[in-house]
Amino acid sequence: MGQPTSTFQFLGLTFNLANIISVLVACLIVFLLVFGLSRHISMRPGKGQNVLEAIVDFTNGIVKSSIPGEASKSLGLWAFSLFLFILISNLLGLFLHVDISGVTYVKSPTADPVVTLTLSLLTLTGAQFLGIESLGYKGHFTNYLKPFKPFIIVNIFEEFTNFLTLGLRLFGNIFSGEMLLSMITSMAVKGGPLMWVVMFPVEMAWQAFSVFLGCIQAYVFVTLASVYISRKIELEE
Amino acid sequence: MFSYSVVGAELYTGDMIFVMLSFVVLVFLISLVAWKPITKMMNDRANKISSDIDSAEQARTQANELAQKRQAELDNTRNEVSGIINDAKESGQQQRDQIIGKAHEEVTNMKATAEKDIEQQRQEALANSRKDVASLSIDIASKIISKEINETDQQALVDSYIEGLGKQNESR
Repeated sequence: MGQPTSTFQFLGLTFNLANIISVLVACLIVFLLVFGLSRHISMRPGKGQNVLEAIVDFTNGIVKSSIPGEASKSLGLWAFSLFLFILISNLLGLFLHVDISGVTYVKSPTADPVVTLTLSLLTLTGAQFLGIESLGYKGHFTNYLKPFKPFIIVNIFEEFTNFLTLGLRLFGNIFSGEMLLSMITSMAVKGGPLMWVVMFPVEMAWQAFSVFLGCIQAYVFVTLASVYISRKIELEE
Repeated sequence: MFSYSVVGAELYTGDMIFVMLSFVVLVFLISLVAWKPITKMMNDRANKISSDIDSAEQARTQANELAQKRQAELDNTRNEVSGIINDAKESGQQQRDQIIGKAHEEVTNMKATAEKDIEQQRQEALANSRKDVASLSIDIASKIISKEINETDQQALVDSYIEGLGKQNESR
């Protein structure tokens, strides 16, 4: 990563303080957002409820487009939470980046591979469970033998590549965005007042692009995750 | 201890567990605070809209039925009314004819009785006047005669008169 981080040991596990604080902040923001929007829920929606319902419809649409039938209903909550968490995590680092004496404490949680790979692991492990739940052990594991038996190597390998690509795609996009942002900032700070003036619109433009990228990546992550799940809960022909 | 190196970054296992736990807790909280009420409300709204559409459909068919019924009743009433008016005209005509006929009859009757009465009265008057003339002439005659005739003659006249009366009685 290059950046120095503060770590501590607890119960024999290593914790990165920057990740923990960032994830907590992101969770808090998501919770407060959802909590604030879900007050006064009524038959005639108010402003907050309208926004919340739009997001719910959006994530439900993502899930329904790849998972047909009843299974999509139970995954709505999962898609909604995942989308909001990744979205807020992507945007968090754009306006909140806390460095104290060179040690990062708050940044985008998704700019760290640990967080993104954890989310991807969570999703794909869930997909395995859902696959067993809907097809049974036999149906689930015979899916690995399709279209014919030697494909088991490809199929198992695919599970790992899915896990890595899903997590690292998100990480790469957000990390590179933040990196460029901090480079622009350091150039502006070190280059004197003239450089500061020149770099200001560049920074603004890159921030805007990062916001766009963060939204796209959150959408892509949820879409791909639901596609992976849909492949697990359906019998392959 | 449980740290691995992937793409140059340190992967801390503690972080993974922490992220998983916090995400699961976040999902739980979202489910509690927002997801359940909002999906319930959205379902309720969907149900309400579909039931509203159904009831609107029902109300429309009912209104159509009522309009048809009303139209039919209106036509019926119109027919009845024209029937009643025709009946009334007919009966009025009849009554008028009847009344006129009766009046004619009465008038002819009254005319007949009046004529009869008049005839009777005329007869009576004629008879009365005849009687009066007779008695008057007798009176006059008796007054004239009483001055000229004597006792015997008068006797004879009375007798003859009585005789005449008796004859008159016989002839009657």
